[in-house]
Amino acid sequence: MKKRILTRFTVIMFIIGLMTAIQYNTINEPNVRDTQDAGKIRQELAREKQLHSDLLSEIGSLDDTLGKYEAAADASPEQALRETAGKLRNAAGLSETTGPGIEVFVEPSLEAVAMGLEIERISPDLLIRLVNEINRYNGLYVSIDGKRIINTTAIRDINGQTTVNTKTVETPPFSIKIISESMEDSEKLYNHLLASRILDDFYIDNLTLTVSEPKSDLVIEAYDGAIDTKYLQASEGE
Amino acid sequence: MWLSILGLILGISLGLLTDIQIPPEYANYLSIAVLASLDTLFGGIRAHLQQVYDDKVFVSGFFFNIALAAGLAFLGVHLGVDLYLAAIFAFGVRLFQNIAVIRRIILAKWAEKKEVRETI
Repeated sequence: MKKRILTRFTVIMFIIGLMTAIQYNTINEPNVRDTQDAGKIRQELAREKQLHSDLLSEIGSLDDTLGKYEAAADASPEQALRETAGKLRNAAGLSETTGPGIEVFVEPSLEAVAMGLEIERISPDLLIRLVNEINRYNGLYVSIDGKRIINTTAIRDINGQTTVNTKTVETPPFSIKIISESMEDSEKLYNHLLASRILDDFYIDNLTLTVSEPKSDLVIEAYDGAIDTKYLQASEGE
Repeated sequence: MWLSILGLILGISLGLLTDIQIPPEYANYLSIAVLASLDTLFGGIRAHLQQVYDDKVFVSGFFFNIALAAGLAFLGVHLGVDLYLAAIFAFGVRLFQNIAVIRRIILAKWAEKKEVRETI
């Protein structure tokens, strides 16, 4: 009898020991080794730094606004408010904007013309990709065939027509205007577009992109529709 | 007694040497299982010392407690309630109680022996 108890205890102890050891192994897992090379870590660091400086500049501009409000609080609060409203309207795309930028002409390719091919509309996918490309390279304000791109702009196919803001884009040729923050950014965008693979994609669709040299004062039309703010609510608190 | 400790050492060394790992998500369950088994073990020792040890109760209690604790933890995870805390609490309290009882019994036995020796 005693022996049987001992065997039971031994088996149970064995199981407990095993479980404890497994638990120990699991908890004390060696840390996963960082196998990224220096270049990748550098890239990450650069990204974070960029974010940092972006945030700093944002803080700076907000501080500016704050300072302006405080300074104008006694003199004319209306003026500061109007200025901010103007700035916001500008950012939202509700006012005509002038700045350094480039103009991109979308035209039927020479081959298509020579072959007598029917010029088709530009596909919304291609247009969206182009806009994404522009946004990636610091394009600040964009208008396609005179239709201003704002935050809520939809580029899509409606009944076989490519539309921007629900207005039909003409069959090529038409032009796309892009304003950037500075002349430098415009030049960067210009160089990027010249070398971009998106040119090949346009060529597949029998279209060519001609990019104009950066101009110092390009004018972009205002968004002419009404911005629907049905689902927007004023935030509470500060 | 030594045999059971040998079993424990054997289990630990086997576990450490084979370097078995379970996914970290299941570490919770295993920890509860370890606690449940410890509880059963000390319960068994106490019962043995109090002369009320029953083989079936001991072995069934061992596996049933582990399964129940793990099941409770599983249920807790899916209900969003930390039910495993209930198991930890129950087992923890019982563990302390059992160990206290064991200590008293051993102390009593020790005192008895001493008395016997002094009378001789």
